[in-house]
Amino acid sequence: MASLPFFQLFINGDEDMSLRESMENKDIALIDILDVILDKGVAIKADLVISIAGVDLVYLDLRLLIASVESLVQSKQETRKTVSSEQFDTQREELINATGQPNKWKN
Amino acid sequence: MCGLIYLYGLIPTKEETNQSFPSLKGFDGIGDLYTIPIGSITAIVCNLDPEEYSENRIKELINNDIEWLQEKAFHHHETVMKLSKIFTLIPLKFCTLYKNRESLETAVQSNDSKMMSTFALIKGNEEWNLKIYCDDQLLKDQVSQSNPVIEAKREEISKLPKGKQFFEKKKLDKLINSELEEEKNKVSEGIHLELKHFALKGNVKRTWSSDVTGRKDNMTWNSVYLISKPEVEHFLKQIQQYEKDMKEIGWQFEATGPWPAYHFSSFS
Repeated sequence: MASLPFFQLFINGDEDMSLRESMENKDIALIDILDVILDKGVAIKADLVISIAGVDLVYLDLRLLIASVESLVQSKQETRKTVSSEQFDTQREELINATGQPNKWKN
Repeated sequence: MCGLIYLYGLIPTKEETNQSFPSLKGFDGIGDLYTIPIGSITAIVCNLDPEEYSENRIKELINNDIEWLQEKAFHHHETVMKLSKIFTLIPLKFCTLYKNRESLETAVQSNDSKMMSTFALIKGNEEWNLKIYCDDQLLKDQVSQSNPVIEAKREEISKLPKGKQFFEKKKLDKLINSELEEEKNKVSEGIHLELKHFALKGNVKRTWSSDVTGRKDNMTWNSVYLISKPEVEHFLKQIQQYEKDMKEIGWQFEATGPWPAYHFSSFS
């Protein structure tokens, strides 16, 4: 049997048909089939998934935001409860610097 | 016996008389497919037990039994595919059932002329589907880096106190996301318009969430085209070119076909 170089198969073959044929023989995923043959059935289902996912995301986002604000407030409150006089002074300094108010304690 | 009739597709009667009808198993895996000539149109059907395949039962199975759905969806797809390779076929949606032969005949007769013009439209043409997916993270980086407005905003935010940065960064994220969606749509639409040059018709379909596709990247575009057979190769080559040019920047193109002309055969 004469051995043919591999690339000759392509040269001899009808190159124009190869792309279409390779596509045609590709395995099709279930989702592609359902997308086509179920139409409305899956469209309704997809809508449901999308809207549920959407609600979930918004809900999660809000929860995260609320949680982070809550923990911020909580940690501030805890600091206030256990504040030492040094900490208090430092915080007062910071507050004064941040607000740009004159430091009346110095007077 | 008063059984249900499962309709796979419709073909021109003259094509059926010209060649022998293949032997194919029906939806229940027991009966065979057969034809019902209704004037110039012939229906390809199989019989089903009305007890076992009531409307409610089928709906229940579609919604709750993924294995059943997978098996039957593949059966429907494969059967219709085989038939569309032999005949000019109007494919019917999954689980199109008629109560009896008379109701099927009435339905076909009342749509006779529309069906005949559908045959004329789809004969010698193929349906192809294109789904475009995007790696949003990769694209996001490009959008946020190449967009001067976003760059300036980021610079501005870095100078703000930490507490303010949190909210401003959230706002910036929203801006980047909306710019990203706009960019993705603009590019996809441009591609769709270019591809329509190869096609007789092109329709845009809804995209699917990643919950449904099970993919990490997002489906950005979903469209179908009716293409004359000689143009299909050019159409696919064009898609291959997009893939080559855009793969590295986060775009993926998935063409499937040829499909029976599901999207170009509606006559309701």
